Amino acid sequence: MEQLLNIPAILAIAFAGSILVFVTHLVLPRLRTAVVLLLTLVPAYLVWQLPVDSPMVYFSLGGFDLSWGTNPYSRLFSLLIAGIGVLSTIYSLAFMKNKARLGFFYLAFLATIAAMYGIVFSQDLLSLFFFWEIMTWSSFLLVIYYRFENQQAGIRYFVFSAVGAYALLTAIVYLYSFTGDLSLAATFRVIPQLSTTQLSWITVLFLLGFGVKSALMPMHVWAPDAYRSAPSPFTALFSGVLSKMGVFGMGLVLFKFMGGLEPGHIIREVLAWMGGITALLGTFYAVFQTDAKKLLAYSSIAQLGYIIVGLAIGTPMSVMAAIFLALMHGIFKSMLFMGVGSVFHQTGSLDLNELTGLIRRMPLSFVTVLMGIITVAGVPPLGGFVGKWLLYESLITSNHYFLVIVLFTSSTAAFLYLYRLIFSIFLGQEEREFDHIKEVSWVMWVPMLILAGMTLVTGILPGIFFGPIAEAMQYLGFPQIDWQMSVLFNPWGNQVDMLSVITSIATVFLLGLAFITWKNFRTTRYVTTKDIHTSGEMPTENENLTYAIDFYRPFERAAAPIFKYKVTRMYASFAENAEHLFDLLRHVYTGNAQTYALYVVIFLVILIVFSGWIFGIQI
Amino acid sequence: MNLNFSPVHFIAVPLFAAFLLPLLGRISQKLVTLVPGIVLLYLSAVALTLFPQAYNEPIVEIIAGWRPPFGITLVFGPLAAFLVTMITLIGFVVWIYSYRFIIRAPLEKYYMLFMLLIAGSTGIILTGDIFNLFVFLEITAIAAYSLTAFLRDHNGAEAAFKYLLIGSFASAFVLLAIIILYANVGTLNMADIAVRMGDVPAKIKLTIMILFIVGLGIEAELFPLNGWAPDAYSQAPSPIGAVFAGIVVKAAVYALMRVLFTLFDLPTSSHFLVVMGTITLLIAEMSAMRQQQIKRMLAFSSIGQMGLVLVAFGLGTREGIAAALFLMFSHAIIKTLLFFSAGYLVFFSGFKNISDLEGVGREKPWTGFFFSLGALAIIGLPPFSGFWGKFYLLISAANASHIFLIVLILFSAVIEAVYYLRVVGRLYFKKLHDIEIRRTPFTGLLAMGILAIVTITIGVYPDFIYELVLPAADELLDKAAYLQYAMMGQ
Repeated sequence: MEQLLNIPAILAIAFAGSILVFVTHLVLPRLRTAVVLLLTLVPAYLVWQLPVDSPMVYFSLGGFDLSWGTNPYSRLFSLLIAGIGVLSTIYSLAFMKNKARLGFFYLAFLATIAAMYGIVFSQDLLSLFFFWEIMTWSSFLLVIYYRFENQQAGIRYFVFSAVGAYALLTAIVYLYSFTGDLSLAATFRVIPQLSTTQLSWITVLFLLGFGVKSALMPMHVWAPDAYRSAPSPFTALFSGVLSKMGVFGMGLVLFKFMGGLEPGHIIREVLAWMGGITALLGTFYAVFQTDAKKLLAYSSIAQLGYIIVGLAIGTPMSVMAAIFLALMHGIFKSMLFMGVGSVFHQTGSLDLNELTGLIRRMPLSFVTVLMGIITVAGVPPLGGFVGKWLLYESLITSNHYFLVIVLFTSSTAAFLYLYRLIFSIFLGQEEREFDHIKEVSWVMWVPMLILAGMTLVTGILPGIFFGPIAEAMQYLGFPQIDWQMSVLFNPWGNQVDMLSVITSIATVFLLGLAFITWKNFRTTRYVTTKDIHTSGEMPTENENLTYAIDFYRPFERAAAPIFKYKVTRMYASFAENAEHLFDLLRHVYTGNAQTYALYVVIFLVILIVFSGWIFGIQI
Repeated sequence: MNLNFSPVHFIAVPLFAAFLLPLLGRISQKLVTLVPGIVLLYLSAVALTLFPQAYNEPIVEIIAGWRPPFGITLVFGPLAAFLVTMITLIGFVVWIYSYRFIIRAPLEKYYMLFMLLIAGSTGIILTGDIFNLFVFLEITAIAAYSLTAFLRDHNGAEAAFKYLLIGSFASAFVLLAIIILYANVGTLNMADIAVRMGDVPAKIKLTIMILFIVGLGIEAELFPLNGWAPDAYSQAPSPIGAVFAGIVVKAAVYALMRVLFTLFDLPTSSHFLVVMGTITLLIAEMSAMRQQQIKRMLAFSSIGQMGLVLVAFGLGTREGIAAALFLMFSHAIIKTLLFFSAGYLVFFSGFKNISDLEGVGREKPWTGFFFSLGALAIIGLPPFSGFWGKFYLLISAANASHIFLIVLILFSAVIEAVYYLRVVGRLYFKKLHDIEIRRTPFTGLLAMGILAIVTITIGVYPDFIYELVLPAADELLDKAAYLQYAMMGQ
């Protein structure tokens, strides 16, 4: 066991695991479940056991010195990967049961997890990029898993990822031309010597690269369809963890690389505003969605906007808020995608206009989604509140009042879609067609409820995250930060004791429950949805009492003009025009031998005539 | 160490086999298929045996007892060893693939021409004599013309005609350059020419160089001289498409580089290569985007990759040339894999068009898998060898502070990703229309499997190749050392 506690061993197990699962599926499909479980749990356990100060591993590959190591910052993210990775894998065991091509699915799934471990443990830019690209193509394979309708989504995802990755690559090789060494340590040393212009270019390229993965507007175009198309267990991982790799990278760039960019620097401000706009527009788009997963996808984009705002502002409190929100988002968005995925698994539908009244059929999924949306909304007592509180406070103390308004608007508007999500699926009129629906198997609801429990725990005791975050921030170069297990402060001396908040809420809730139970105990009568004869009217069987259809019609109508201009369309027309141009250029190759011969002669003549200019010698 | 092995075998054995094959055809068709395999296996063995020796000290073989500068020499240094080994190994894999590939016309013609192609390509790389280089160039070209028209249909004949027409320009220009060169220096030994080059007037030197650039540029697929390539690649039988991309072009690029680096002072012309390489790359990738036929698309992609190689050579630094050699190796492996799998995809669907490949990947999972793997590899994703080639190139471009070049290269990589993934998508996403189900022969899968394993192995551990390309790059740059051992002989 001791020998296995090092990074190469973990990565080797994780990557070999993905191939082993593929082989197992081919050879012994009956053992697949066991092997998948084992090969997710073992690396996750090893990552958990890995000490924060485990020794760095140095080696040389292809003429470059590479190194892997851990630090508090990477440990934080590695635990997120391990946790959500294990839970979504367990969830997938039941979700993907009896689906086709499971070997392929788990190959890509485990490779994605392994690549993410690789990213956080990389201590040099080459390994970082190497694993980054493996993550890209393995997740691409999962986006196109359902094949038929998803090609467009898949290719869009890949092209955006490629553009992002190549921005990263440009920044990396550009940096390398100054440092001659790819390790992060050397990079940190050299960066102060660069000129401001060079530094800005590098920062922008890095942020572009990481921004694509975290779906920062206007690079978010791939995200809704990609999240929608991937199988739900993977969407949980995709939105929950994979998008955090962008956040991880941004954190590194903004604080470790660009220590020179003091708070208030123009790049920071622009990034913060991009984050703010992402949060606002993402929320508005989410309100219009009639597809549960797309709604969550836009919500995910919006939430990442908050995180990026926090990172960009760059004060200790805002960064703490951002990382806290990043962890929270990992938890609650995976949980929501799992919850919605369960509904899809049982009903075969994600259409909010079609689903209705599942609360009694799928109570555990309901609880999951309920806890999820409370967390998203940032309402006490769950964890989301803590993050948003910190974020607002940090914005106010750093004088970003206008951004506060933007974020607050977005946060309020979020209620619209959150309510729509839970109402459309679980509340409302019960329909005959869903009568046979049952709750999902325990393999699926256990991971969901574990995550739901996490949101409660972090709501009451946010300190269990503050500790590791504070350490991680010290690694990023912030001073020691004071924090307490369950008390939030603000600069005006007010403090919020989460325990007392919880106690009061729980007390009110319990008292209310007791009161209602006591008062109505004798007169309680269970009714079905259509049993409303006391209202003076007997609805017929086919009468629609559900108001989930066209939920926000007036709002949509009001906002329609604004959303007419879609950035998606802009990209599409750009791509189309580029392709037309390429098509024109293609006709250079006429297919006519005489033309080609002419080219040869013309080329020769040009070389001879312009030889002075081309080769520096005159004929 | 077996002392009987000598670089002469690389040329003599396949040449001899080529002339023997028609006779063997009279005895047994089985022999005709087996003998080329044995020859290539033998050559691979020779190459691998001589390999360490060449890296220690270049082997210089004198033909017919005339010492240089009068006789013809074969120079087997690190660069030649690297390329020749690559060619023989790829040739052997091509043979494995061809073994069961359906070939309608007489087998002995196919294998005879194939052997000539191998002999010619290795000859180009090994020879130390400029006129000899021309001869081998012609052998290769003539074999290539014939193979382009091998299927004897209208399109094949047309493609071969185009190739022949443009190829004769190449021969004429190269020959003209050699004549002018000979008139001025009075020798044909390349090392000797390089020594006496200083006496040649600058203008004449330049004329010779331009003639070489155009002549050899045609074979090396330099834009705008590469019009013949897409047709030839797509009309030749699939294994031959792979040979063109993996072997013939590589030899031609080597010839161009040997001439430019050893006979002329490259630095004056280096920017020229970078610019022309970039243009070749961009035009080719853009043209590939809207191709209807899969093999034409692969041909354009191949031209694009050669553009990258030219850029890397053009940088003229040690790491740039190392990157170019790495790219050549990686491209040879991956493009061969792609041609192999595309060959069977076309064969199974019965059509050459990309739109007719819908769903073939679901029916033929392994062939589809190999094509997809090749596509990911050539785009330059880790952990495949294509990634390292591009990475080395970008690093050397950054070190030469060509930032704009990096952007252009990466832009072309995005285009590449789009058109390759579109094909991969078609293989799997669309519904299958009725096609006859035929089995991929085991030998075909074996050949593809070998290449796939190689590209992944090199992708995970590039040092295998990287340590070999560095000395080879040194050889190309270190003109003085080359002159010394090529002139002295041993």
